[in-house]
Order: sequence, then structure tokens, then C-alpha cells
Amino acid sequence: MLRIRNLHVEVDSRPILKGLDLDVGAGEVHAIMGPNGSGKSTLAQVLAGREDYRVTAGTVELDGRDLLAMAPEERARAGVFLAFQYPIEIPGVNNAYLLKAALNAQRKARGLPEIDAFEFMKLIGAKLEAMQMSRDFLHRSVNEGFSGGEKKRNEILQMLMLEPRLALLDETDSGLDVDALKIVANGINSLRSPERAIVLVTHYERLLELVVPDYVHVLAGGRIVKSGDRALARELDERGYDWIQAEAAAS
Amino acid sequence: MSEMLIERQFERQKDTLPGAFEPRKRALAAFLERGYPTRRDEAWRYTDLKPIAEAEFDAPAAADARTRERVRARVEETAPPADATRIVIADGLVDEALSTPPNEIALARLVGDERLDRIGRTAASAHPLALLNRAFARDGIRVHVAAGKAATAPLEIVLVASGNGRIAQHPRIVIDLERNAALDVVVRAIDLDDAEGWLNVVFDVVQAEGSRLRIFRLQEHGDRLDSTSFLSARLDKDASLVAGYVDLGGRVTRNDIDVELAGPGASADLFGVFVASPGRHVDDEIHVDHAAPHTRSETAFRGIADRDGRGVFRGKLLVRPGAQKIDARQSSDNLLLADKAEIDTRPELEIYADDVKCSHGATVGELDEDQMFYLRSRGLDADSARALLTFAFANVLLGRLEPAPLRERAVARVAGGLAGLVEWESLR
Ligand SMILES: Nc1ncnc2c1ncn2[C@@H]1O[C@H](COP(=O)(O)OP(=O)(O)OP(=O)(O)O)[C@@H](O)[C@H]1O
Ligand SMILES: [Mg+2]
Repeated sequence: MLRIRNLHVEVDSRPILKGLDLDVGAGEVHAIMGPNGSGKSTLAQVLAGREDYRVTAGTVELDGRDLLAMAPEERARAGVFLAFQYPIEIPGVNNAYLLKAALNAQRKARGLPEIDAFEFMKLIGAKLEAMQMSRDFLHRSVNEGFSGGEKKRNEILQMLMLEPRLALLDETDSGLDVDALKIVANGINSLRSPERAIVLVTHYERLLELVVPDYVHVLAGGRIVKSGDRALARELDERGYDWIQAEAAAS
Repeated sequence: MSEMLIERQFERQKDTLPGAFEPRKRALAAFLERGYPTRRDEAWRYTDLKPIAEAEFDAPAAADARTRERVRARVEETAPPADATRIVIADGLVDEALSTPPNEIALARLVGDERLDRIGRTAASAHPLALLNRAFARDGIRVHVAAGKAATAPLEIVLVASGNGRIAQHPRIVIDLERNAALDVVVRAIDLDDAEGWLNVVFDVVQAEGSRLRIFRLQEHGDRLDSTSFLSARLDKDASLVAGYVDLGGRVTRNDIDVELAGPGASADLFGVFVASPGRHVDDEIHVDHAAPHTRSETAFRGIADRDGRGVFRGKLLVRPGAQKIDARQSSDNLLLADKAEIDTRPELEIYADDVKCSHGATVGELDEDQMFYLRSRGLDADSARALLTFAFANVLLGRLEPAPLRERAVARVAGGLAGLVEWESLR
């Protein structure tokens, strides 16, 4: 589904990604781990279409289409969803309004009619329940004054509404209490299906116990330097990243 | 030269102006001493009243039946609050046929009132707009709420320009709240068609101890109407004032608010939103005078300017000597949507006491890139995201408007083509 080849990205004319390759197939869950500042969020944001991150080389294909040539909204409509590491606050925009506008923009792109108010309320009611969020959140401004954990839940709420084909979750588990982590993990798992793919950026093994990945990758120095299965995550949890970086430097 | 015009206007109108003549003459003379404000005057640095000063204006006349019907229709179609006591002032004259009889608050027409120049706080004001209003006012109302009484329904004052000629109107609204009285006032400024003219309204507010007043004003003039307003308020001990202004229309719009917190515990919340779309000039001049200790004020204004739209904000905070334990906050945030748009904002603080909490901030910027990306990453196209964020910028303050019908009207006007927004905003 997603095919990244030799991706080079600069931020403020500083190279961050330096020849990254990654393949994500439909139905798969991939975890990306790596030291702070190694470029995980940069990768996620570039895939979602952030324009001030400059791609200097490489290709990214989504189902054979050139993802890099698409505007952020086109990517969203093609099924890409990014749960932000730091969700953006938008004072003055009602959370429910955004959900509905987003859903309708994507439905329109797929030739579907706008969702009617009744259907929407039914749908959102079910998703709120799944995320154990109160209805009050619908009428508050997007992420404004939300606690760290509430912002993360709100990202997952959006994801459940939009049912993306490719979900990129950037440290959605950071800052969650134990119960919230379970709720978020359940939300993610509910989306697992043979047609969808999920990429989890995380620092913690804990999430991967609840959302078991098919593959685990280490991003360091702007590349995927090691890939493995779930066992790799456990090893990283115990040993840290130094040994991998040493290994990568040696080769 | 333009002063000659105003003198001539006065000469022409003097036989039809109601009430005592001498005070009007004195007010005009006081105005003529200094004339129209010029840009050398700090308070008028960015706003030129030339279009007003150089125009020939007609005197207002009572509405004929046809005009009255059109005014009625316009008042209705602009979504008024349902349960309000309504006063319609068309071309500066109270239209009793279109107004509802008041029940719990005492209302009196000011027409022919001998004391027109003596009642209220602005009677002695040297503000040029107040002087012109005193010289030319033909009508207005005096609102009086007795001690301890809280009006259950808002008072709606609709200021209408009929467009029957190019009319200068100077209505005068006097609001007098006795001890612990409470009142909500909704002011709506509207036009018929493409009315040309000038509306120069004065709000004169005197609040006794513990009284509570909220004024929400929505200005929806057309492209050919100039509007100036002057609100002057004095608050005694523990009195509170909320004033919210939304300016969406007009050619030249200038709002002066002047609040004196005269007794300990008095507090003022002043906020405003303007949208200076093409061809519009909006200027808010806000003065808050902390004359007593333990007073608080919050001033928050937001402006949006598009294409050649022009906005101005000046906020003056004065903390007098000995006025300790003051909490005063002021913010002016502005959004420029085009290269040629311009907004000037100047916070000014004069603080002569040492135990005070004062803060102020002024920003002029463009839409936030991170917010744009966030919305687009959810599937909104760039134009929709821009429109939504522009609306949101204003909506942060529009949300404070009351009652709901007024808020929804303002939201709908600012949201423009954003489908479905009003529905969500009204859910709260
Ligand atoms: N807008 C920016 N301007 C300048 N530098 C940036 C910007 N965004 C990211 N960077 C830099 O790019 C590098 C990669 O950042 P990125 O956020 O992708 O790291 P990360 O792997 O997600 O780290 P973390 O685990 O801490 O979230 C960092 O050194 C960061 O400081
Ligand atoms: Mg990161």
C-alpha cells in the first residue's frame, strides 16, 4: 500500500531524513521506534503533506499513486490520516463541526452524499462511547484547553470517524494514563482490517503489548537502520538504541 | 471649510430642532472652537472624518407609511431577539408604531426634553462627537431601571437608516441604572437598501452601586453609510458593565468607548470584533479609567481586514494615583487576509499606582500555518480551511454575544458560506 524509497527530507535546510526506505502492506501494523530527534515525526508529517518540510529526493507511493504530488487534503481523501504528536489547538472551531466537515469533505471526494445530521449524531455518539469521551467535547473548540491525554483521545476519535486506509499515529500513547492507553489501543485495534494499514510511532513497548505490530523498525540518523518483529521492540526496551547505532555505524 | 458646512446645516435645521435652543448653540460653538478632529490628534491619527465633514446632509423627517412598512420588514428579517422590548429609531427619530411598549423598565422619549443637554454623563463632554450629538439630537430614549430591579427581557434598540435622502442622524440613548438594577441591551444598526448618510449615536450610561449592564451591539450597515458611536459610562462601587461590539458593515466606522470605574469593585468587560472587508474603515478607540482601587477591566478586540480594508484599534488604560489593587487586561489581535489590508493597533498604558496587575498584548498576523495544515490533513481544502480559520478567529469573541438570536445572526454573517456552522454554534 505504502512504498517509500530513498526519501530525503530537509527541515530549514538541515537534512533530517537521509534515504529512508519503507514498505507497508494492506492489513499490516508497523511500529517505528527510534531516539528523540531521529526524524520519526518528520516522516509522519511529510507523509501527511506538510509543506515546509522539503523533500529533496526519493519517492513515496500510495497504492501506486505519487503521494508527494498530492495536496494534504487529497491525501486525507485518499485515506491517509495522521494523529499528531502535538495536536493543534484551534480556538473558535467547534470540535463537532470539524468532524462533520472532515467527514463530508472525504465523502464528497468518494462521490457519497453528505451525511445527514441524524446519522452523524448516531455515528459520533457511538465513537464517543468507544473513546469514553463525554459529549461536552463536541461543543468545545478543537483541542483548546484539552489535557494532553484528552487531545490524544480526540485524535483517535477523529480517526474512528474518518476510518482511514493508512493511519499514522505519532506517539499517540505518550502522556496517556493506564486506562486511557487501553481505550486508545482498543480504538486502534477496532480499525485493524485487511484493507487498512497502521503505522505506530512510539517510544514504549507497552502500547505494542496492546496493539501487536507485525513489524518493528528502528529509525536512526534519518534512516530505517533495523527491522524486525515484536521481539525487537522488547530488546530495545531493555537495551536502548546505542547498540543499534553502533551496529549501523559499523556496517 | 467643512466647519462652514456644519454651521449652515445648523442654521437650516434650527427652527425644527426640538427643545431648548441655547444649549444646542453652545454645543455647536464648542465644537466649532476646535472643529473636526485632525490626524494631529492622537485619538484620530488613522481616521479621517472628511467624508462626513464634506458631505451635505438632509434633516431627518418622520417616516411615511411606506417607509415604515419597509423598516418593519427590515427589522424583522434581520433576526431580532424574540422576547425583547423593542425601540426602533429610524433616521434619528423614535418610531413608536414600530416599538413595543415597555413593561418593567421606565422608558421616556427624549424628544423636546428641555434637559437634553443636562442629563447624563456626556452633558459636559468635550468629545467632538458628543458635542455634535448635543447640537443636533432630535430624539432618543432615556432608560431608567429602578433600584433592585432586574429586567427579565432585553431592551432592543434598532437604529435604522432609511435612505430617504442623505440623512445625518444623532440619536441619544441615556441609560440610568439605580442601585443593584440589571439590564441587557441589544443594539442593532441596520439600513434600508443602500442608504447613504451618517449615524452619530451617543450612549450615555450611569450605573449606581452594584448595578449590572450588558450591551451587545451588531452593526450591519451597507457600503454607503458612515457611522460614529460614543459610549460613555460611569460605574459606581461594585457595578459591572459588559459591552460587546460587532462591526460588519459601513464605510467609515468609528467607535469610542469611555469607561470610568469610579467606585471600588467596579468592573468592565469590553470586547469587539470587526471585519473590515473591501472599502471599509473601522476604528475602535477604547478608554478605561481606573479611578478607584479594587477595580478590574478586560478589553479584548479582534479585527480582520481583507483586500483594501482598514482597521484601527487604540486602547488606553489609565490607572490613577492611589488606585491600588487593579486588575486590567487588554488585548488586540488582528488578522490580515491580503497584502493591501492594513490594521494599526496601539495599546497605551498610563499607570500611576504601584500595586496593580496590568497586561496588554497586540498582534497583527496572518492565518496560522500549523492550524491550516491540521485542517487540511483532515480533508478540508485550502479555501475552506482558510475560511474556517478566519471565522474561528472572530468566533472566539462572537461566542460571548447574547442573547442567542443575536449571536447566531453575527455568526451567520461572519461565517458567510460555511455551511452548517450556525447549526453547530447554536447547539451550545
Ligand atoms: N520546524 C523545524 N525547524 C527546525 N528543526 C526542526 C523542525 N522540525 C523538526 N526539526 C528538527 O528535526 C529533527 C527531527 O525531528 P522529529 O520531530 O522528526 O524527531 P522525532 O524522531 O519525532 O523525535 P521525538 O521522538 O522527540 O518525537 C530534530 O532535530 C528537530 O529539532
Ligand atoms: Mg516526534
